[in-house]
Amino acid sequence: DTWRYAFEEALEEVQGKFAQKFKEEVEANSDHEVQLFPFGTLGESADIMEQAQSGILQFVDQSPGFTGALIPEAQVFFVPYLLPADRDQLFSFFRNSKAIHELFPPLYAEQGLELLTMFPEGEVMMTTTEAVASPADLNEVKFRVMTNPLLVESYRAFGATPTPLPWGEVYGALQTGIIQGQENPAFFIESTKMYEVTDHITRPGHNNFTTAVMANKDFYDGLSDEEKQVVQNAIDTAFEFIIEYQTGLTEESLTKIQEAKPEMTITTLTDEQRAPFMATAESVEQEFLKIGGDQAQAILDQMKADLAAAAGG
Amino acid sequence: MTLDDKHAPNPGPDVITAAVDVDDDIDDSRYVSGLPGLLGVIDAGIARIEAVLLAVGVLLMALNTMANVVGRYLLGESIFFSEELNQALIILITFAGISYAARHGRHIRMSAFFDAMSFHLRKTMMVVIAAVTAAAMFLLTWYSLDYLLAQASRGRLLPALQIPQWWIIIWVPLGFFLTGLQYALTAIKNLIDKDIWLSTSTLEGYDDSAEEEI
Amino acid sequence: MTLAIFGTMIVLLLLGFPMMIPLIAGSLIGFVALFGGFGQLDTMVQQILGGIRPASLIAVPMFIFAADIMTRGQSANRLIDLVMAFVGHLKGGLAISTAGACTMFGAVSGSTQATVVAVGGPLRPRMLKAGYNDSFVLALIVNASDIAFLIPPSIGMIIYGVVSGTSISELFIAGIGPGLLILLFFSIYSYIYAVRNHVPVEPKATWAERGQAVKRALWPLGFPAIIIGGIYGGIFSPTEAAAACVLYALFLEMIVFREMNFRQLYATAKSTGLITAVVFILVGAGQAFSYVISFAQIPQQILGGIGIDEMGQYGVLFTISIAFFVGCMFVDPIVVILIFVPIFAPVVQSVGLDPVLVGTIITLQVAIGSATPPFGCDIFTAIAVFKRPYIEVVKGTPPFVFMLLAVAVLLIFFPQIALFLRDLAFAK
Ligand code: NA
Ligand code: NA
Repeated sequence: DTWRYAFEEALEEVQGKFAQKFKEEVEANSDHEVQLFPFGTLGESADIMEQAQSGILQFVDQSPGFTGALIPEAQVFFVPYLLPADRDQLFSFFRNSKAIHELFPPLYAEQGLELLTMFPEGEVMMTTTEAVASPADLNEVKFRVMTNPLLVESYRAFGATPTPLPWGEVYGALQTGIIQGQENPAFFIESTKMYEVTDHITRPGHNNFTTAVMANKDFYDGLSDEEKQVVQNAIDTAFEFIIEYQTGLTEESLTKIQEAKPEMTITTLTDEQRAPFMATAESVEQEFLKIGGDQAQAILDQMKADLAAAAGG
Repeated sequence: MTLDDKHAPNPGPDVITAAVDVDDDIDDSRYVSGLPGLLGVIDAGIARIEAVLLAVGVLLMALNTMANVVGRYLLGESIFFSEELNQALIILITFAGISYAARHGRHIRMSAFFDAMSFHLRKTMMVVIAAVTAAAMFLLTWYSLDYLLAQASRGRLLPALQIPQWWIIIWVPLGFFLTGLQYALTAIKNLIDKDIWLSTSTLEGYDDSAEEEI
Repeated sequence: MTLAIFGTMIVLLLLGFPMMIPLIAGSLIGFVALFGGFGQLDTMVQQILGGIRPASLIAVPMFIFAADIMTRGQSANRLIDLVMAFVGHLKGGLAISTAGACTMFGAVSGSTQATVVAVGGPLRPRMLKAGYNDSFVLALIVNASDIAFLIPPSIGMIIYGVVSGTSISELFIAGIGPGLLILLFFSIYSYIYAVRNHVPVEPKATWAERGQAVKRALWPLGFPAIIIGGIYGGIFSPTEAAAACVLYALFLEMIVFREMNFRQLYATAKSTGLITAVVFILVGAGQAFSYVISFAQIPQQILGGIGIDEMGQYGVLFTISIAFFVGCMFVDPIVVILIFVPIFAPVVQSVGLDPVLVGTIITLQVAIGSATPPFGCDIFTAIAVFKRPYIEVVKGTPPFVFMLLAVAVLLIFFPQIALFLRDLAFAK
């Protein structure tokens, strides 16, 4: 059969790399063909999600931030300073988390989706027109964030003026000065050329952009055990591949940015500088518990337990 | 404009209205429904509601967009639901507007070949066009209802407004249905009347101004 | 299936169906064929809504509204009087000013449709009065609006830059040369047109008259200030500038000039809503149709069959030009960029083409396509706003499309038209 797989990024970005690996594995180990549909070719993020729910698409990659409109608990990935900055701990968490592997799947299933995996896409960084070392530097800064209540709350707590803006207008708005900052993983800052219209990259270490791959549930349940195994193996292989690919990707992207624009400053905040940012996390956590759905508390507690385990192991 | 004998109309009041209004504002108080009796009263009422929704929708859109700017500069606070409100308004305007446009024969069409046909062929074609268009609109009514119900069952929320997403698309099946109804009535009107009607209130024949006839 | 779809669409269009029907029929056939029945038509509805939802489209009704208020009141006339005081005595002066105004307005608004409305709305009646033929006027407005896509900011270039990984700043600068070249060609053509058709000129205005015109235009000169100053000054996004123009127009016409009352405001808003609906349902239906093309991977199939890998640089550039030109005749430009760019990316790289040049050529083709029959969105907009028949709107198009294509060919053989400024700015 032809299986269709849509994702939210371009073919050569992280979600696209994952999808390509998945396609390669499935096609090598079965008679099925996988067609890939990058960002925008079948509609926006919410559109491809609905198409996966109605079974037109067999697979879809959507980040929990967007899924939050459907599954409020998924917004937990926007709570700042929850995920560890340390790479090994982070990967260990994604491999072993009980929240991801046991608590989330039933929530996705309620929406007609089989959650196949979640993986990190890269550390989220701020790009701004003025240097940022403390929350005071964000005062009065109009900072573009996705229209998500938790992100808005985070940046308000950081001291910035969160400003919603359609993604297509962000580049122009940074250029003319309507906004003075935005956040994204390094590879995305590089591929979308955000560094051309900002001067400073700051790494507050507050988050790692997470994404999830899922299948239409009816489709998945209808597969033979053998086919399910093919899908699972392809997901596992692609997961390991993307973890490997990630190691070094951030540094590579930052090097490319530095080459393209030598005057760009890239600053990793020290633990001391991070402290006042981290102090705001509590208020965002409270906001999550308020809007994160019935399971918010359970998910948050389990996440924290998983993270402690990852830190210990 | 001069109409040649082939389309010489029976100059009833709505005909004159149609001819005068083609390039001007539509005067809703002079709109005559194609439906008889009580149905006609209801239809004329719907026409008025559509008109008000169009005008208010556009005004709200301007105010909403500006309010966001004012908020950003004067209050240091962006209005987060501004974009979603505009989305809701554009859907409202589009779907209230398509039936209003169908009512007044304002949908865009390419009439060059059509205009070159004989009267009888044009009349037959107009029945076919109106009937097929009505059928397509009713089909979309059904499936947009389907889509609406699917959205309602999924319970997706608009991130900033935190209201169910399906609330802002209830106009969609309604708009398709009312548009289909207008085209269905146009097909019937063309079957029972001796002239060619673009909509129940608009005679066919674009406002061919002088230069086109040279 | 491809042929059946395109064939049906063109036949329905020619028979005189409302234009949404060919687009809806095209997507209906596609959905039924792809999914073996009517079961997935709710996704077609989803796509229609997806087509009208993008936030940047809000600028279109806002500029329609502002232009309509200005034209009904005094603002537009006062601005045009000002222009006429300086260029009215020159052959083709008004036409050239119109092309120039489209370029300037397009430069800031970034929307070809908004340009058609905002510049064409007030200027068309004046050009008709001055003795220009309507089909020339309509074609000039529709095609000069294309320049909006080439002069920064340009949504098309941003999307191309993101999909292909090309510097958006470099693309922006590279678009300026071809944009100005098009303006030059259109100006020369307008001059020749005015001379050949004996379009009368007005007597040359005295400096006193010009001073008077400037004085009368002081209030309305706030519009360019809002648009240019507001956007480049970092106060407004283009959409917000459009809404600001609406409020400023209302302020002028209702309070300063007292030309408009609440009844007229209501009528203007309603008329804006009507035009918006008529255009947007086509944009939505076009999106549903694009979805079918994209889902069925039709471009990949067609391009896979022509052996692009064996072509040299010129062959690749011509193939890209033709593909984008044809694609944009039927499908929304942004979708065409999203689908085609990744398909061409490997070959662009393997023959060693400058991605900035490719991006400029693609943006130009996309702009031409959106003003080209049968389904160019600028044509829909012009029909809805000016209430002229389809054929009247496209009749005068051929010379303009010819000039645009000439610029495309020149760009292929003389890439410096685009790259000169870029190389200068980025010291390459
Ligand atoms: Na532009
Ligand atoms: Na087009």
